[in-house]
Amino acid sequence: MEKELKRIIAILVIICILFISLIVYLSYFQVFKADKIVNNSYNKRLWINEEKILRGSIIDRNGKILAYSEKSGDTYNRFYNYGNLYSHIIGYSYREYGKVGLELEYNKALLNISESTPLKELKNVVIPNTEGNTLKLTIDHHLQAYSREMLKGKKGAIVAMNPTTGEIYSMVSMPDFNPSTLKEDWNDIMEDGESPFLNRATSGLYTPGSVFKVIPTIAALETPGLDLEYECTGSTKIDGYVLKDYGEKAHGKVNLEEALVRSCNSYFAEKGVQIGKDKIGEVADRFMINSPIPFDLPTAKSTFPYKGNIGKTDIAAASIGQGKVLVTPLNMAMIASGIANKGEIMKPILVKEIISPEGRIVSTNHPQVLSKGTDIFVANEVKNMMVEVIKRGTGTNASIKNVRVAGKTGTAENPSGKTHAWFIGFAPAEDPKIAIAVVLEEDGTTGGKSAAPIARNIIIEALNSI
Amino acid sequence: MMLNKKVNYRMPRNLLVLFELMALLLLFIYDKENIDKFTLISVISLIFIIYISNFVLLRISTGDNYIFLIVTMLISIGVVMIYRIDSTLGMKQVIWIGMGILVFFITYLLIKRIKGWENWAKLYAIISIGLFIATLILGTKRKGSINWIQIGRFSFQPTEIIKILTIFIISAYYSNYEKYKEKKYGPYYLMGIIYIFIAFLFLQRDLGTVLIFYSVFLALQFIYEENRKLILFNILLFVISGIAGFFLFDHVRVRFEIWIDPWKYIDNKGYQITQSLFAIATGGFFGTGIGLGHPDFIPEVHTDFIFSAICEEMGIFTGIGIIMLFLILVYRGFKIAINQKDKFFRIVALGISILFGIQSFIIFGGVLKMIPLTGITIPFVSYGGSSMISSFIALGILQVASEELDVEEKRYGEGT
Repeated sequence: MEKELKRIIAILVIICILFISLIVYLSYFQVFKADKIVNNSYNKRLWINEEKILRGSIIDRNGKILAYSEKSGDTYNRFYNYGNLYSHIIGYSYREYGKVGLELEYNKALLNISESTPLKELKNVVIPNTEGNTLKLTIDHHLQAYSREMLKGKKGAIVAMNPTTGEIYSMVSMPDFNPSTLKEDWNDIMEDGESPFLNRATSGLYTPGSVFKVIPTIAALETPGLDLEYECTGSTKIDGYVLKDYGEKAHGKVNLEEALVRSCNSYFAEKGVQIGKDKIGEVADRFMINSPIPFDLPTAKSTFPYKGNIGKTDIAAASIGQGKVLVTPLNMAMIASGIANKGEIMKPILVKEIISPEGRIVSTNHPQVLSKGTDIFVANEVKNMMVEVIKRGTGTNASIKNVRVAGKTGTAENPSGKTHAWFIGFAPAEDPKIAIAVVLEEDGTTGGKSAAPIARNIIIEALNSI
Repeated sequence: MMLNKKVNYRMPRNLLVLFELMALLLLFIYDKENIDKFTLISVISLIFIIYISNFVLLRISTGDNYIFLIVTMLISIGVVMIYRIDSTLGMKQVIWIGMGILVFFITYLLIKRIKGWENWAKLYAIISIGLFIATLILGTKRKGSINWIQIGRFSFQPTEIIKILTIFIISAYYSNYEKYKEKKYGPYYLMGIIYIFIAFLFLQRDLGTVLIFYSVFLALQFIYEENRKLILFNILLFVISGIAGFFLFDHVRVRFEIWIDPWKYIDNKGYQITQSLFAIATGGFFGTGIGLGHPDFIPEVHTDFIFSAICEEMGIFTGIGIIMLFLILVYRGFKIAINQKDKFFRIVALGISILFGIQSFIIFGGVLKMIPLTGITIPFVSYGGSSMISSFIALGILQVASEELDVEEKRYGEGT
């Protein structure tokens, strides 16, 4: 009997463990997994709300309506007023194809459905919620349209933002698509080799080329005792690997400013190795490379894998923005903003306010410092060098009469064989109002020649209209 | 008396009525257009029947009166949910519950009056095999398993009855263990019978039930088998047949694949389980409230997936509550077994408790995607006549087992 009792209790214990594991799993599921599952576009409950609630509008910073819904019969239809222009910002919301962009990320706000609590459910029974919230973006419709015009017929991305608040003024990624005619175009878009669905501004990972040199420049200024002079002969040999300057041009005796102004590759390759991977990596980390950028849209992570086992040639290549470095245009715009904003990098903002159907502001995205890139002295020094780049260096095509522009060009070698043309910059240098990153993907030209004029035009337009 | 009679049963009984009345009120608000006089009368009479049954049981049975209370609580939650999903099914379920309670009392009286249950192992085995063969010949296929017999408008699942008969066979075998041990091949009788049953279940493609049979058998064997090697052998065979099933039967493999990643098959094979996960995730801790969710998106929600519907509309706190109720039911069952002096009824009590426990665990875990899904019902909660009746038979037997039975006569020796 003693043995029997022991065994009975053993079985009881096993059953108890099974049941308790059920309870634990159920709680775990509810706390950690439920949110993600509920938002799966296959969840018909999301669409049930859609049928009862007028989806909110999306407006630009000046109140221009970009997307809205209208009731026709029993169903609500969604209208996108500007076709391709906002394909990568607003995205789309269709039963058949699901949701992307802000339509997905702000679905709950647009439908005015909050976390379900018994009290709110009860309130909903008494006063049914029939209208969603409006999203007010930081985008300036005029600048957005202008930016897209600048990029028309090309591949690439433009991000223009306010360096002191982090507000995005325009964000364009090409090629794009038309959310209004998605049903007709779906098959073509899916078969298009240039992936029009990819938001290159936030998720495109590009070799940065020389625009990345601002990172080793900051690292150099932060390294005490580093010899900033160098005799450039047009090429340098690091660990048996030859790094050439553009056109193998010898720049002669250069200091840091001259090196940045003339985009001297051998200078940065040599100095990068002297500074060391850890210091450059640390500066890159502060400028949000290697960490996910919190944003209203999904973002890809820029990478500079300096912590791994990398050799001297890799460090040299990284110092001129080649090799293993990959960045997103949004990240580069933030780096330019950081230098413009006294070293402080602001969190990028796309949705300024959520406004209730009654016109009350439900929530506001306040400017927020995301990371401290460098101190104000180093930031100012780099800014002055970048002003020189525009005045007499590779970026003269971005210069504007009466406005001091700061910038850096880049021409990035990549596996496609055709270079990416880059430009990052901001203006006016003494009181920056706008920061910008332009990338022309596989354009085959230099950044100074093709990307700089685009940036210049957008900066003029922004300074005049915002 | 074995259990303290002084325990106050009145309070939980009254709380139960309160719960039922409030649930009725809620349903009334939710579905006021469809509630007619007939519905109202039948529901109120059900509440009355449950109350009276709890009351009567206290008078006639000297045993554990909590198990019936727990079960009536489970039934109440289940029927509210079923009615909310489909009012016609809800009304049918009310009738099934009424019949179930009647069957419970009949079983209770029969099992108590008739003596010698431990001597008829052969009879149980013959009836079981008869039912199995009948299922294979007359059975109709539902959800990929052949486990229903249709007679006229009435259909039932023979395996529901065979489960109980199997527990009786195992109990009869181990309570007459000494006698069987002396016979040639005696020690293997039981295993032979059980494996024949399992083979039949495999033929019917009823995997959930195979799992239940195996678990009950293994657990009881673990407690009573003297030849410990046999247990190891059975566990080994369990694993081997699981692996063999994976490679031999498509539907086993499919179940497993869906379990690993249902999202990949969200349009077809994984539809049901992903809908279940949506429902549970939507409910949150407190649920959407009765009538405010969409459990009707889940196919078969009133039977196998009733738990997901409950979690969506009543919240996972109610879900956890149901799991706890089953845990208490199983605990009471074990307690009954430990206190029972009659060996046959001791093993029967254990078998029934393990049956309730394992069956509910398999389906709770299944709809939560904690373990692969096999379509079986939750005893007392899911919609369904066979399941309701057989669960009440099992409960009636457990009620008898909770009482002190006369054990002075040693009954083995004559006739098996």
